[in-house]
Amino acid sequence: MTKQKDKYQPQEKILYDTIIIGTGIVGWATAMYAGRLGLKTLIIGDLPGGTIVIASPVENYPGFISIPGKELVDKIEEHAKEYDIHILNDKVTKIEKINQGYKAITQGKKFSTKTIIFCTGTKHRKLNIPGEKEFENKGVHYCALCDGPFYKDKIVGVAGGSDSAAKEALMLTEFAKRVYIIYRKEKIRAEPVNTKRIEEKAKQDKIEIINNTNITEIKGKKQMEKVIFDKPHKGSKEFKLDALFIDIGYIPLSELAHSIGVKINDKGEIVIDKNSKTNIKGVFAAGDVTETEFKQAITGVGEGVQAVYQAYKYIKQA
Amino acid sequence: MKVKVYSTDTCPYCTIAKNFLKKHKIEFKEVNVANDMSARQEMFNKSGQMGVPVIDIDGIIVIGFDQQALKRILKIKD
Repeated sequence: MTKQKDKYQPQEKILYDTIIIGTGIVGWATAMYAGRLGLKTLIIGDLPGGTIVIASPVENYPGFISIPGKELVDKIEEHAKEYDIHILNDKVTKIEKINQGYKAITQGKKFSTKTIIFCTGTKHRKLNIPGEKEFENKGVHYCALCDGPFYKDKIVGVAGGSDSAAKEALMLTEFAKRVYIIYRKEKIRAEPVNTKRIEEKAKQDKIEIINNTNITEIKGKKQMEKVIFDKPHKGSKEFKLDALFIDIGYIPLSELAHSIGVKINDKGEIVIDKNSKTNIKGVFAAGDVTETEFKQAITGVGEGVQAVYQAYKYIKQA
Repeated sequence: MKVKVYSTDTCPYCTIAKNFLKKHKIEFKEVNVANDMSARQEMFNKSGQMGVPVIDIDGIIVIGFDQQALKRILKIKD
């Protein structure tokens, strides 16, 4: 009987049916389905859980009224591990074309596969303004769930106007005295349920939205102390904040796919069809890295399942 | 080898880092910096910043969950 430790051990000698790159929620769901389809599967990723782990709570994944993002992805990982799949916690640094398909290269190892499914997700977009790098983790943060507790009874800001930014602001009200949402456009784009929550917090003087305003600089000494706006707010461009949480969107991690000729759009997202196929035979993509408009865990999971079914059909037809 | 993990209660990457150490049977001491101001100062003195997790491995400081760095420093092979 295979020892538990070796059960998921990847092997360089075999030709995998599919290699899934990315260990976020979409990667694990794709691996689960690959296991069900009986594909020889390897899932490789260097960031366990992906970006959903910092989302809390997730309230729009069917079957779960409210669940921390990490718990949701852990459940799907556990589900995937019910099947005969191989797992590697590592970073794929390069992909090479070979006769049978592709070779995924990590730091020191090479794995061959007939098909690849990119579930590589995204990384945080930065403001790219003076002071952002200097005060990173010294007032400038990208994860309210991680670093929010440091700002108990403090005045903090959230840069951004998406649903994700709104959720960060709501999370921060649990710690901070007051939260300012600083958004470059007129109206924040939160889901109606979160917009309503923001409005309720605004009535309690816990949240205030500063709209039509850009942050141009972050200033401080050892820690950040204030931000500079592009226009005066209540008579001044300087605005004191103990911390600024930045949530202005994400950059798709599509470089690997692009390196083997996969078509990407002008935002860097992988172009897929309705069956999660890319422009290259045997190469598929799913989740936030793709050009789909409504990027949700549930839509990404659906794309992943579609991708792996298409990979299954591709292998059977070959 | 002495390993210390500075973390907050809500930080998912702290949990991931601790699970990683447990998986590889690395003993560590957990330091919660959410409310303990002296522990927070200790973390700041060591890492020069206020983002968690911070992992101190015999004086070598790893900021964030950097799996490759942890594997290298702790000589984990798989």
